[in-house]
Amino acid sequence: MPDAPDEAALSPELVELLARIEGYPPLDAETIARIAVGATNAVRAVAAAATVELFDTEPSAYAAELERLADGG
Amino acid sequence: MLDLRAASLGDAVAALARGELSSTELTRACLERAHRLNATLNCFVRIEDEAALAAAAAADGARAAGRPLGALHGVPIALKDMFYAPGQATGAGSRLRHGFVGGVEATVRARLRAAGAVNLGVLNMTEFALGPTGHNELHGACHNPWNPAHIAGGSSSGSAAAVAARIAFGALGSDTAGSIRGPSSVNGVVGLKPTYGRVSRAGAMRLSWSMDHVGPLARTAGDLARLLGVIAGADPADPTASARPVPDYGALLGAGVGGLRIGVPEQFFLEGLDPAVGAVFEAALAALERLGARRVAVRVPLAEHLTELGRTLMYSEATALHGHFLRHRAPEYSAQVRARAATGLAIPAAAYLEALQLRPVLLRRFVAEVFGACDVLATPTLAVTVPTIAATDVGGSPAMWRTIAGLVRCVAPFSYLGVPALSVPAGFTPGGLPAGLQLVGRPFAEARLLATAAAYQSVTDWHSRAPPVS
Repeated sequence: MPDAPDEAALSPELVELLARIEGYPPLDAETIARIAVGATNAVRAVAAAATVELFDTEPSAYAAELERLADGG
Repeated sequence: MLDLRAASLGDAVAALARGELSSTELTRACLERAHRLNATLNCFVRIEDEAALAAAAAADGARAAGRPLGALHGVPIALKDMFYAPGQATGAGSRLRHGFVGGVEATVRARLRAAGAVNLGVLNMTEFALGPTGHNELHGACHNPWNPAHIAGGSSSGSAAAVAARIAFGALGSDTAGSIRGPSSVNGVVGLKPTYGRVSRAGAMRLSWSMDHVGPLARTAGDLARLLGVIAGADPADPTASARPVPDYGALLGAGVGGLRIGVPEQFFLEGLDPAVGAVFEAALAALERLGARRVAVRVPLAEHLTELGRTLMYSEATALHGHFLRHRAPEYSAQVRARAATGLAIPAAAYLEALQLRPVLLRRFVAEVFGACDVLATPTLAVTVPTIAATDVGGSPAMWRTIAGLVRCVAPFSYLGVPALSVPAGFTPGGLPAGLQLVGRPFAEARLLATAAAYQSVTDWHSRAPPVS
């Protein structure tokens, strides 16, 4: 995780609003900041890694892929 | 009497088979050690003297009667506080589940019992397995046997500390983002995160159904092979458990590393490494080369994103699992764990699904590019030396985040990919704390990892050094 969220990170206000919409009780500032950093980093990694292959990819292919790529398999 | 500070699980099995001691004697000795050392280490949340001695007596009775004996017959082990058993509290290291009694017996627990293992008790862990340091507000932090001022790692803190302190001959832990391998490294024991699906999770506390792995910790690769052979395999109670046959891991341990290509990542994993950890890693690679392995450079595709992709899954699924608790009993979490459990509330569903979709794509690419060039990938287990408990308990400071990042940097990527990964003791840093070598294989290559670790342990003695607690 970075030392601090940058300007493009999820804002505390947005995290607070999402939490409220989703029915969570009020969060303290530190929790909100942690959630903002964690979620921002996660979503950024997804955006950086996503490719056109996903258009034709079924998530449930994962287990079968493990078996297909098995040692000696 | 067996020397507990020197004996491995395999030694205990052999001594029991030869009749040099009874399981009752051995269990009593382990329980005595557990009570004595727990005051310092806090690795157990509950020591189960009565149940353990009853199981040991039954094991002795079965042996005396000439009944068939399991692979772990009469050997004391212990389990992380997350494997359910009817009538027994399994609290997941939390206030929220404190005293919770699961209605089923975890498959791995049942398999260990059927193999004759004697369970000494319930091991400390990070609350809900959500954290790499071993802090726990309810039970208190688990301490490192090499220096109690330092962390025991997390989340399988008690599992690794109890094995390192020579209390239990083996233990079970879980690994969602490094929670077996990290603690194994910082305590100087061997720990294996098997391939996703190799070991059933039925009856184990869930953190993230896409990322959770159950695996063993012990002091030697041979001991891990014995434990894995018992717990691995298909399970009707867990649809994600693979039906692939379980190899005889013990029989494959002697495969050696002659001609083996050891892949060393040329990017990401070795960047920003603590120099002391880097020196341990280089020495470990040199030892493998002296055994006949060949070092090759490899690139791990998208290495810099794998940890966060895994966190996308873990946070989203953890928030889904914890939704009721987060909405209605939030004050019962510790602050750090509450934030980690709730992070998924801010991750869009589309991002979660993309991370799931990316998993088979990146697994394919990883296996093709990495294992097209090598047979086993090697990295340090941790990028940092073992921090103190105080240094990792300073609520959100930049220094703490850097330390936490260093604890998971090399291990978490392989939880996302779901490939097997093992940590084996590889030396000590100048402060006298252990450091591990991580070995990573293609799917279901546990036998190859165990054989590589066994070869390494045949020419090193890191695993046979006991910590100063006595």
